[in-house]
Amino acid sequence: MNKKQFSLLVAIVVTTAMVLTGCGPAATPTPVPPTATPVPPTATPVPPAATPTPTEPCLIIGALYGGPITDAGYNQAMHESVMAIKQNIACVQIIEAENVPDEAGAKTTMENMIAQGVRMIFATAFNHQNPAYELSQSHPDVIFEHAGGWMMGPNFANFFGEPPDAWYLMGVAAGKMTETNKMGFVAAFPLGWTLTFVNAFELGAQSVNPDVQTIVAFTFAWGDSAKEADATNSLINQGCDVITMHVDSPATVISAAESRGAYSIGFQSLAAQQFAPEYWISGTGYTLGGTLTWLASTVLDGTWEPIFLRCGMAEGCMVMAPFGPTVPQEVQDYVNQVKADLEADKITVFKGPIVDQDGNVQVAEGEVLTDDTMSAVDWFVEGVIGSPK
Amino acid sequence: MTLLSVLGVISSAIFSGTSLLYTTLGEVITERSGIVNLGLEGVLLVSASTGFAVTSLTGNPYLGVLAAALAGGLMNMVLGYLVVTRNGNQLASGLALMFFGFGLSALIGKPYVGSRIKGLPRILLPGLSDLPRLYASLFKFDTLIYLAIPTAILLWWLLFRTRWGLGLRAVGESADTAFASGRNPRLIRYQALFVGGLLAGLGAAHLSIAYAMNWTEYMTAGRGFIAVALVIFSKWHPLRAIVGALLFSGAVAFQLLLQSSGVRISPFILDTIPYLLTLLVLIVWGGTRKHAAPASLGRVYHGTE
Amino acid sequence: MSRTAPIHPRFSVFWQRFLNGVILRYTLMVLLVLLLFGAILLISGRNPLQSYKDMLAFTLGSAYGFSEVLVAMTPMLITALAVALPSRLILINVGVEGQLYMGACFATWGALTFRDLPAWCLLPLMALLGMAGGALWAFIPGYLRALGIVNETITTLLLNSVAPKIVSFFIFGFWHSPMDTDKTANFVPAARLPTFFGTRVDLSLVIALVLLALFWWVMRYTRWGLEMRAIGGNPQAARRNGIPVSAYLVVIMCIGGAIAGLAGMAQVSGYYGLLLANFSRGTGYMGFLISWLSFGDPLGILLTSFVVAIIFTGGNLLQLTQGLPFAVINILLAFTLFVVLARPTFLKEKAS
Repeated sequence: MNKKQFSLLVAIVVTTAMVLTGCGPAATPTPVPPTATPVPPTATPVPPAATPTPTEPCLIIGALYGGPITDAGYNQAMHESVMAIKQNIACVQIIEAENVPDEAGAKTTMENMIAQGVRMIFATAFNHQNPAYELSQSHPDVIFEHAGGWMMGPNFANFFGEPPDAWYLMGVAAGKMTETNKMGFVAAFPLGWTLTFVNAFELGAQSVNPDVQTIVAFTFAWGDSAKEADATNSLINQGCDVITMHVDSPATVISAAESRGAYSIGFQSLAAQQFAPEYWISGTGYTLGGTLTWLASTVLDGTWEPIFLRCGMAEGCMVMAPFGPTVPQEVQDYVNQVKADLEADKITVFKGPIVDQDGNVQVAEGEVLTDDTMSAVDWFVEGVIGSPK
Repeated sequence: MTLLSVLGVISSAIFSGTSLLYTTLGEVITERSGIVNLGLEGVLLVSASTGFAVTSLTGNPYLGVLAAALAGGLMNMVLGYLVVTRNGNQLASGLALMFFGFGLSALIGKPYVGSRIKGLPRILLPGLSDLPRLYASLFKFDTLIYLAIPTAILLWWLLFRTRWGLGLRAVGESADTAFASGRNPRLIRYQALFVGGLLAGLGAAHLSIAYAMNWTEYMTAGRGFIAVALVIFSKWHPLRAIVGALLFSGAVAFQLLLQSSGVRISPFILDTIPYLLTLLVLIVWGGTRKHAAPASLGRVYHGTE
Repeated sequence: MSRTAPIHPRFSVFWQRFLNGVILRYTLMVLLVLLLFGAILLISGRNPLQSYKDMLAFTLGSAYGFSEVLVAMTPMLITALAVALPSRLILINVGVEGQLYMGACFATWGALTFRDLPAWCLLPLMALLGMAGGALWAFIPGYLRALGIVNETITTLLLNSVAPKIVSFFIFGFWHSPMDTDKTANFVPAARLPTFFGTRVDLSLVIALVLLALFWWVMRYTRWGLEMRAIGGNPQAARRNGIPVSAYLVVIMCIGGAIAGLAGMAQVSGYYGLLLANFSRGTGYMGFLISWLSFGDPLGILLTSFVVAIIFTGGNLLQLTQGLPFAVINILLAFTLFVVLARPTFLKEKAS
C-alpha cells in the first residue's frame, strides 16, 4: 500500500475539514445556538420560540418525541404539554426533536441536546426509557423525565396520565352507542398497559351493556398508517360499529372508520376529533401542560425530587373530548354522571371479581389491581376477542 | 367466519392491493425494458408525500393523484439519467434513488403531517344500493380502484399488441439487437421508466390519498420491494400481476381476520408466505434460464456512441 | 436476470486511476454535492454554510462527535465487507440486510439463553451464533446460484424481506414480556460488547478493522485469493483449471453472510444491548452501496464508510440546530451517490 497516496488523501480530508471549521480541531464541542424550532402545529396558540431572548434563558429544556409533533395524537399531545411550560414560564427555552429513533438511537439526540445546554429532558416515547436512564447515570447534573415508564433514579423520574379510568368512561359511552354490540380496538403492541386499556374499555361498556364484545387487532407498530387502515377495515368487516385505538396517531383509524360510517372514540389528543365530524362519540387526551410546568418550576427553584407522577382526569391531566353531533343527550348525561363518579372515586375500575377470556379469575373478590400489576397484565377480560400475547 | 368477514377479506384485499397493483404494473413495464428499479420504495414515498401535500393544499384529491403520478415519473427519470445516459450500475443507482426518496419525501411531507384531507370520493358498485350500511361500505370503491384492472388490461394490450410494446420487449430481450433493427433503446427505456413512474405514483397516491388518508415518514413500509418480488411472481405479465397483488394483500387481510378469530398463528409468519411463494415459483420455474425474465434485465446498454 | 459483467476492476487499477489527477475530480465532486444539498437547504429555509460548519465541527472537531462517527461507521464497514468478498466472484450479495437480521436473531438467542456465562465465554459464543445465522441465510441463495437455478440477486432480495419478519416473530412469540413493546428485554452485561473510553465505540470496530486487514491479506497473498480472482475473471477457464468453482460460490457466499451476521450480532450486542424489531433501516443496503462504490477495495471501503458515517452523524445534529428532519440527511447521501454513479469515465472500466 502506497503511504504517499494514502496520506495525501487524508491530508485533503483533514484540510477541507479545517478550512470549513475555520480553525483547528476543537477539544470540546462548541454549542451552537439553535436558530429555528420545528414548524408549530396549527392547534397550539403558543408562539414559536424562534428568536433567542437577549438574556440567558433560565432553563433550557429538551423534549424528544418518537413521532411527528403534528400527528394529532400522542406526540402532539406531548408537544402541546411541553410548549405549555413556555407559556407559563417565559424565561425557559425549549429544544425539540421529532421522530427520534428508539432505544440506543435516542442517545445521540439527547447527548446533542445536553451539549447545547439542555438541563432538563422530557423523553416522551416509551422506548426512550433505557437510553434516557443510561444517560442519567453519566450526566448527573441533568434531570430526566420519562413518560409512562417505571424506572427511577437520583436524577431520573417519570410522569404520565391515568388512562384506565378514562378508558372505562369511554367504554361506557361506546357501550351506549353501539348497535351491533361489537366494538373494535386497534392496538399497536400487546403491551401490559394496552391490555389494561382494552380491559377498562370493555368493563366500562359491559357496565351498561352486558353482551357487548371488543375485538382487538394489533398492528405491531406505533404509527403504520396502512396497517391501521387495514386493521380498522378488518374490524368493521367483522361487524364492529365503534372503533377506538391505542396507537400513536388516531388520525388514520378515525378517518377509516368515518369513511365506513362507523363510530369512533379518540385517544391521545383532542385534535383527533376533526377527523370524524359525523360519527365521533367522544375521546380522551393527555393535557399534561400544568404537570410539566410544575415539574419545570421545581427544577428551577431547586426542589425537584424524583417522583413517580401519575395524575388523572380529576387533576386535569386527562380530559374528555366534547361529544359528537350524533350522541343523544341522555347518553351524554349518563356519561357525565359516570365521569363525576370516577373523579369522586365512587367507581373503581379494576375491582374484583374479574374473569379473563379463558375463565380464570384474575382479580379475586374484594381485591383491586394496582398500578404495578396493571402494567404487567397479559390477559383480556371476558368479552374481549383477540390474543393477548 | 361470517359472510361479512369473508367478503370483508376480499374487500380489504382490493383496497390495500390496489396501490400494490399499480406499482407492480409500473415495475413490469420498467423491467420489460431491461431495467430493475430497486429504488421503487423511494419513488413511492416521494409520490405519496407529493400527492398528499397537493391534496392538502388544493383540497382537490384528483389534483393530488395527478401530482403524485408526475412525481413518480420524474423520480424514475432520475434513475433513467443515471442508468441509461450515464450507464450506471442499476442496482446501485436504484438503491441510491431509494435513499434519495427517503429524504425528499420527508422534506416534502413535513409541513403536512397530521393534515386532514378529503380523500378520493368512493362510489358504490352499481346495483348494490339496497345493502345495509355495513355491507354497502365494503363495496364502495374509489376511482383508482375501479381503474386498476382496466389499467392492467391496457398495459397488457400495450405490451403485447402494439408496436411500442414490441419495441419495449425487444429492448428488454436484447438492446443491441433492437438497436440493429432500427429502434432507439435509450429512448424506449426512458419512456418505459416514465410510464413505470407514473403508475408507481398512482399506486402511492392511492395509499396516501385514498386509503390511509395520511402521510408519515416511511409509510410505504416496504411496498417497493414487495412490488419487485410481485413482478417476478407474476412472471413479468400485467394480468398475472392482478392475481399476485390480490394474493399478497389478501394474505394481510386474512391474517387480520385470523387474529380476531382467536387463531394464534403469528402474523409475521403469515406475512412471509408471499415471499416464500415467490421464491418457490422461481425455483420451480427457473428465473434465470427460462423464458420468463427479459434477457437483458440488469445489463447496462452501451450503444455505439 | 442475466449476470452483470465484472464491476470490480483489479485492486491496483483503483490506485492508478487515483493518482491520475482524479484528486481534482474528487474535490470537484465533493463541491458539487455540497452545492446541490446546500440548494435544498436554502429552498427549505435553512442556512447551508452554518449547517456544514455545524456538521464538521461536531463530527471532526469534537471527541464525542468523532466517536459517534466511528459508531455509525462500524456496521456499514462490516456489511460492506460482507458484500465485497462475494463480489470477487462476481456474486452480488444484496442480501446483507437479511443476513444482518438473522445474525442478530441467532446472537440474541444466545444472549437470552446463556445469561449466566461470563463475558469471555458468552461473547464469542454470540459471535459464532451470529455468523451461523448470517451464513445460513446466505446459504440458500448461494446454493441455488451454484446449481444455476436462480440468480442470487433476486433470492437475496426476497430473503431480505423475510428476515425481519422472522425476527419479529421471535420477539413477539418468545422473547417478549408485557413490559416490552417491540423489543426483547435488556441483555445481561456479559452479553454486551465492551466499549472504549466512555464512548459508544465498542469492540466491533476492532473486529471490523481486523476483518478488513484479513480480507486484504487473503486476496493479495493467499492461494484462495488467487483462485477467487481467477474465478472472477473467467469462471469457465478457472473450472477447466481444476478450481472448484461451485464450491467456492457456496462457501464464499456463506462467509459473506457470516460477516453480515457478525455485523448483526455487533448491533444487538454492542450498540443496542437488546433486539429491537426492524432495527436496521438500510444498513445492509448502505454496505452494498459502499462496497460497490469502492470496487470492493478495502481501503476504499474504509474511507467511503467513514464519509457516509460523517454524513449521518452530522445529520443528527442538524435536526436540533436547524430543525431539519433527520431523514432529510439521506438527500445529501443520495447526492453523493448520484454524483459518483453519474461519472462514466471513471467507473466504466470493464462494465458491460
